[in-house]
Amino acid sequence: MRNTIQQLLNGIFIGSIYALFGLGYTLVFGLLDVLNLAHSEVFMLGAVVAYSLVALHHVPFLLAVPLGIAAGGLLGLVIEFVALRPLRRRGAPPIAALISTIGLALILVALIEQAKRGGALSWLWRDGANDVQFPAGKVPDRIWHLAGLTLPVNKVAIVVITVALMGVLAYVMAKTPAGRAVRAVAENPRAAQLLGVNVDRVITITLVASSALAALAGILFALALNDISPYIGRDQVELRGLAVIVLGGMGSIPGTFIGGFTLGLLESITILTLGTDVRAVGFVALFVMLILRPSGLLGRPATERV
Amino acid sequence: MRTTSRIRWWGTAGVAVALFASACGSSSGTASSKGKTLKLGAVFSLTGAGGVYGPQQQQAVKLAEETINAGGGVNGANLSIQVVDDASTQTQAAQQTQTLIQQNQVVALLGPTLSNSAVAAHPIADSLKTPMLAVSTTGLNIVGTCPYPCTYIFRDSLGEAAAIPTNIKTYVAAASPKPKTGVLLYPNDDKFSVDGATAVKQTVTDPAVGIQLLDTIQFSKSDADLTQFVNQGVAKHPDVIFITSLGGIPAKIMTAARQQGFTGQFLGGNGFNSAAVSKQAGNFGKGARSASAWYLGNDFASNAEFVKAFKAKYGTDPDQFAAQAYTGVLILADAAKRAKLTYTDLAGDRQKLRTAMESTNIQTPLGPFQFTSTHDVHQTIWVIAMDGQGGFSLVTSVKPS
Amino acid sequence: MAFLTQLLFHPFTWYHAHQLLAGQMGVDGLLALSIWLTLYSGQLTLANAGFMAIGAYSSVILTGGTTSSGPAAAGVHLPLPVAMLIGVVLAAVVALLIGLPVLRLKGVFLAIATLGFGEALRFGLILNLGITGKGQGLNNPHATLTSGIMPIWLSLAILAFLAWRLTGTKTGHAWAAIREDQLAAAAQGIDVARYKMVAFVLGAMVAAFAGALGAHLSFLIDSNDYTFTQAIDMLIWAVVGGIAFVIGPIVGAVLLTILPEVLRFTQDYRQVINGVILIAIVLFRPDGLFTRRSGTGQSGWFVRRWVTVRRRWPSRRPQPAPP
Repeated sequence: MRNTIQQLLNGIFIGSIYALFGLGYTLVFGLLDVLNLAHSEVFMLGAVVAYSLVALHHVPFLLAVPLGIAAGGLLGLVIEFVALRPLRRRGAPPIAALISTIGLALILVALIEQAKRGGALSWLWRDGANDVQFPAGKVPDRIWHLAGLTLPVNKVAIVVITVALMGVLAYVMAKTPAGRAVRAVAENPRAAQLLGVNVDRVITITLVASSALAALAGILFALALNDISPYIGRDQVELRGLAVIVLGGMGSIPGTFIGGFTLGLLESITILTLGTDVRAVGFVALFVMLILRPSGLLGRPATERV
Repeated sequence: MRTTSRIRWWGTAGVAVALFASACGSSSGTASSKGKTLKLGAVFSLTGAGGVYGPQQQQAVKLAEETINAGGGVNGANLSIQVVDDASTQTQAAQQTQTLIQQNQVVALLGPTLSNSAVAAHPIADSLKTPMLAVSTTGLNIVGTCPYPCTYIFRDSLGEAAAIPTNIKTYVAAASPKPKTGVLLYPNDDKFSVDGATAVKQTVTDPAVGIQLLDTIQFSKSDADLTQFVNQGVAKHPDVIFITSLGGIPAKIMTAARQQGFTGQFLGGNGFNSAAVSKQAGNFGKGARSASAWYLGNDFASNAEFVKAFKAKYGTDPDQFAAQAYTGVLILADAAKRAKLTYTDLAGDRQKLRTAMESTNIQTPLGPFQFTSTHDVHQTIWVIAMDGQGGFSLVTSVKPS
Repeated sequence: MAFLTQLLFHPFTWYHAHQLLAGQMGVDGLLALSIWLTLYSGQLTLANAGFMAIGAYSSVILTGGTTSSGPAAAGVHLPLPVAMLIGVVLAAVVALLIGLPVLRLKGVFLAIATLGFGEALRFGLILNLGITGKGQGLNNPHATLTSGIMPIWLSLAILAFLAWRLTGTKTGHAWAAIREDQLAAAAQGIDVARYKMVAFVLGAMVAAFAGALGAHLSFLIDSNDYTFTQAIDMLIWAVVGGIAFVIGPIVGAVLLTILPEVLRFTQDYRQVINGVILIAIVLFRPDGLFTRRSGTGQSGWFVRRWVTVRRRWPSRRPQPAPP
């Protein structure tokens, strides 16, 4: 029984990371119909920047977090100005933007992977392809033991932060002028422009917000799982992030929230009931979901969007 | 369909220009006219998944090259080792092996870094009758019984099939009370890990060991949070947790298991033996034991000198991969010394070098080193334990039978 | 750089030292062709890495592949062409079965569902079945390193020719019509579901064939060769080459397969340059290297002069106009 509860909690912990990561993904997709595959590398770089500040430059953790998020936001600008806007300007198909974001992702991973001691980027990263973790004692690492359950404080914090951010974001999208502008652009950019919305600015701001969220997700991931490497984005969250946003319904913020926790819990429940030999439940669930309800749990009807 | 088809070539031209521009920055080494040059090649994973190991291998090879040349070379011949990156892929490993042999005309090769790449590259080297010495592959069927002819293939890296049983048996023999139960955790989508898991499963049934495996827990190397898998294992209350994996995974498992209250022993293989793993596991990994090919703290001369030189040149301690790569160069240089190479008949030289390698018997950072009749490692095995501070301590050593 | 000068001026010497690369270029060309078939009909599917695995594993198992523990995986030793045929047919059957529900999906939903198929196949079956060698991979003692290269290029030439001829037939016109506007195509009486299925199944068969050919260049096949990354690579080749013509994806595949070798002199920053070139190609040729000429672009001189921009996929809404 205790193991069951512990496992369900584990599912919620990891589910909230999936949800937080998926959130930025789905914001950009909802707006541009573009799958931004550089998103997972912003996630990675957020963690790398925070790690670098804490471990190499002795910045207090609570200051390193906002700086890491800011770095993520800057990368959002890079994505917009290098990989997305030039293509939008010439009316390129969204699939071209998919490829340009892949190109950017390749560059970001390779830069970190090749950053070694004594190299040009050694102020940022000096461990090449290795896994590192935040130095002990410099970051919160308390573990609560409650009724035989293990509750690392970092993981609990992730759930709280995710739920809070979902609430804030849902409110911003529904009730504020900025949110209305984003929805207007998502619905019809030309009409939005005629109504006086600065479309490019809305897109830029969304990219920055989305990337800042990715960086935050990366930092929390690194903290909770004790793992920072050039590959945490590409190998560990990218595919599941895709699964989450489709499961929830592309472009839907509450959907992503539910999708993230659904995937996390589904993985836990499978381990509990079917054991560890049964894998890829997430993808089987996704497959079934898409066939039964192609628009996801809370999505708009599936339209032609590539 | 109003458009008339017309193929535009200019995009291609653009790429061609880019490629051509890139063509201008190269410099190809001119063959030394001062005496002879012994040309060797090394195929390592400097980028991609194997990028954790390849760079240290490259550093060690360069160090060995400098050291040997500073000491007068190989019977006076200058040693030249070309290191290339296989990007951790099978196809590039095979291609690079072929290119080094047929274009760069190397006498022998080191590598590749990863087992998968080795299976792609070794048959090429063998079919071109060029010796290739694996310096980090620990999987099954790399030498001896290969699924392809491998008479030119050697290995100086201790296989998991030897390391893991040694570690488990050594632990059980000295433990009191004897461990009765265990749980095995490994990623099932990684060849190194699955090979290691196979070795664990075989060893625990040995009557001298007699550990009952309560559960075998598989996960994927892309699983973000291993806590869920570790919980399943810890909930069975095993005496021992076996971990056969590489990189960050062992450390993550140890951390999660200790946080869940596991108090038993961790046992593993070569995958534990890196300062990065020990550092990442920290205090949670204290006492975790593995059998390894090399131990940093060994103070016999061939190792102490290597460690000192490596530290002087690169500012960090070497790791097992570096030690094995360094040993690889020593083995090839020693064989070349004894082989009476002609430096004119390449095919003949490769043949002679292969024969000379079979009778290797030298002092290396790994200890006294010989090859078995199947070209595998014949060396002392070092049983080490993590010290909880990013290092290791020597538990015992097991001489080869 | 030695690599390029040698390729241009001493092609035979180059070939002698790069046979495996040449073989890989051919296999990648076939894979690009396989994804082109579905892209040409307006479907973004990423299932081809899975079909490639079906072809590769079937052909190795049936020709006497062995697992690490020693014995032949299936105990049968069929001739290679028969084994390949079985793999291709198996892929076609699987494509038909999953195509029935999945091809109703569109755009990125289709892409992710097919991606899900590939991952489920890998983690659900390949890594759990004894016959595939699980995570240890499957040894292929009957690999042919160099004699396989001519057949690869020959098949690529033949299949590319057939695909090119196909674009001129009723099927090809139907595909193009579906790609431009699915609703309009249906209104014209085109059986959209059937033509999409034909493209999907043909793509699966070519991918399985390429997988089988590629598998016999190697003594070990491993599930890590058939991942998400492989599926995305195929997509990159096709989009970079341009999907208006059969030749586009093939040239894209050949160029991008050779690129890492050409860039070898850049050493540590090879992957960085690789990414920069990828972005540059897409920015300058958003519709790929080979495109049709039509319409007018509103872009810079290079694009105005040499490139003509037209959206490959119908959009449900206009793009924002420049202010």
